[in-house]
Amino acid sequence: MNVEITDLTRRFGRNQAVDGVSLQAGPGVFGLLGPNGAGKTTLLRMMATVIPPTTGHLRLLGRDPGAYGPRREVRRRLGYLPQNLGYYPGFTVAEFVEYFALLKEMPAARVPAAVATAVERVDLGGRAKAKLRTLSGGMLRRVGIAQAIVNEPELLLLDEPTAGLDPEQRVNFRALLRDLGQRATVVVSTHLVEDVGAACSQVALMDQGKIVFDATPDELTARGTEQGTGDAPLERGYTAVLAAARS
Amino acid sequence: MTAASAPATPRPAAARRGAGTAVLGSGRLLRLELRHNAMLWLLPVAFALFWYNGYREIMALPPMWNLRAMTLQNRLLLDLVVPVTGAAAWMGSREGRRSITDLVAGTARPRWSRQLATWAATTAWAELGCLACVAVVYIITARQASWGGPLWWPAVVSAAGVPALTAIGFAAGAWFPGRFVTPLVTVVAFFGLAFSTQAASGDHSYWQISPLTAGAFDVGAGSEVATFYRYLPDLSIAQVMFSAGLTVALLGALALPVARRRWLAAVIIAAGLGAAGTAVTLAGTGRLDPHGMIVIPALHDAASDQPVSYTPRCSQTMILVCVHPAYASFLPAVTAAVGPELTEFAGLPGAPARISQVAEIYRQESGNGITITAHLASPSEFILPDLLPGQPGATSDQFTANLEETLGLQLARDVILGGGDRAAAPGPSQAQLAVIAGSVRFPASVEPRDLAPLYGQLLPQPGSPADLAGRRFAALSPAARHVWLAQHLTALRAGRISLAQLP
Repeated sequence: MNVEITDLTRRFGRNQAVDGVSLQAGPGVFGLLGPNGAGKTTLLRMMATVIPPTTGHLRLLGRDPGAYGPRREVRRRLGYLPQNLGYYPGFTVAEFVEYFALLKEMPAARVPAAVATAVERVDLGGRAKAKLRTLSGGMLRRVGIAQAIVNEPELLLLDEPTAGLDPEQRVNFRALLRDLGQRATVVVSTHLVEDVGAACSQVALMDQGKIVFDATPDELTARGTEQGTGDAPLERGYTAVLAAARS
Repeated sequence: MTAASAPATPRPAAARRGAGTAVLGSGRLLRLELRHNAMLWLLPVAFALFWYNGYREIMALPPMWNLRAMTLQNRLLLDLVVPVTGAAAWMGSREGRRSITDLVAGTARPRWSRQLATWAATTAWAELGCLACVAVVYIITARQASWGGPLWWPAVVSAAGVPALTAIGFAAGAWFPGRFVTPLVTVVAFFGLAFSTQAASGDHSYWQISPLTAGAFDVGAGSEVATFYRYLPDLSIAQVMFSAGLTVALLGALALPVARRRWLAAVIIAAGLGAAGTAVTLAGTGRLDPHGMIVIPALHDAASDQPVSYTPRCSQTMILVCVHPAYASFLPAVTAAVGPELTEFAGLPGAPARISQVAEIYRQESGNGITITAHLASPSEFILPDLLPGQPGATSDQFTANLEETLGLQLARDVILGGGDRAAAPGPSQAQLAVIAGSVRFPASVEPRDLAPLYGQLLPQPGSPADLAGRRFAALSPAARHVWLAQHLTALRAGRISLAQLP
């Protein structure tokens, strides 16, 4: 298992953002659904080793990220796209991706080829030399994805990756996710249930800091056949599970 | 986005990360930071500030290495502090301002290493700006100076101060990454640096550690400092040690939040603060040496106290006037100012065949006061005025007046009153005073109150019969006065000449 989470909690002052979460994920695309404030972003930040858990155990890629050496090894094999992507407007697309390749301690000789590949995979090859300040929101999101995948991560954490992408780009992105999921564990946090249905082999639903559902997208769809509201089967499953968890 | 069009590069089974790979990676990171550094864009501002505040004043100074190098040290960092500290604070706060902290926090390269790359790029551009300013001043001075070579220590002190300024700005920006930190730290750094030059008091002041302080506080860039004797690096060494220690301590403090490296950061901070504290303590042990520089006993090399050998530059006048070659450009002004006296007294008993410039002697008084005197062992020695034309507040008229008050009167006194121990001799006669007054010509800019201490000693009281006789004598040509003195000097010295007998 690339991700092993046991009773993980994270508290910010009095706010319990993540409350006893346990999860396991191997290679494949793992969808993380949930309403605003459910704790998805906090869970992803802990998995990205940005913040430590308050309690509980976390093992990533077979290592304990609580210790410096293993954490650094995990980070070399990690790709992370935060919900709010900050960027340096004066950097070009290629420079920004190269910057993160270097921060991920990729061998310098491999960096140029890896950058070119990553930029191509998000369809920005033609804008590689464009300054980030000149790009649209959707393009910036793709730059964020490129920096996340530049090191061919074994664990890829994407927080709202399709926000701002147009329908065509979202379709392409799902294909990319499926491809990446063949070798790596890809955790996608999203509001968009259709992304989960199209790309994920496993899905978990969070609410109020807890995992309230952890199974396949088909099983989530099945939960919505008798109750739940929404236009799509997955949406009905999503609302049904949430309603059951809150009742 | 394509899943299949660009196949993924296979990850090596075990990526070996040797030292060479790490260095190469750091080099590429530094290159990126160099290309996207705020200091690069602020270099024109830095150059403009230096040109407006420092360069014009430095270049107006006489072309002497000591004057220009020491003034450069006094000006350069103050001109650079705003753009340099501001750019460093801007770069230090970049991750926070750009909300990129989460993104970079999940990367393998330690935060300290990442920050060092940004700081190093900022410092590299700032250092380039600093050294460019030094180079311009030194290249022009090399073409103009009549003697000597570059004084490197003032440049080294300025160069060592640049990393300290960037470290201050960067650390402030990294710790408080708000939008107001840049202007705030810039203002604080500017006034802090400016204040540091005003707080020194005497040669034992700890404030001499300020990298703007070049030499003794009240002398600063004196024309004779480091001319007859070597430039003493004692204070410069302490200043460099202080700047380096401050830089190391601040960079170490940036690593403090990293739990694993906390002990290492603490050691680095302690080492930096130790060096800076030692430097301040050393500066407090300074004392003014007779040649106008600060000696720090623990850092002093006695070999530096030997005078610098030189071949003087001499005039083609009847009494040769010889100056240190650094003052060669002032020799025409000197001979022009005292030319009549040189003609009038040449060959007379007591008149030297040659007069040579000697070094002044500096002595620290209470507070910031410093007295500058000269020990003239014989009539053939003289000193030049402290202020040379071109130095702040000095004009050619003042230079000429000062020369008459010193060298002109000295020549007249030695010839008219005779050599030897005059302390035991009776006061000069009215005729002697009249002849001295007639021989020495003060420029119109010299006011009577400036000469008041000399009345009755070397000059007659204004309006007295001796004064009138002196004016009569002054109306003669130097050659005529020479002829009269050649015939009557013995009698004049013996007091046998009355005012009525003067021509």
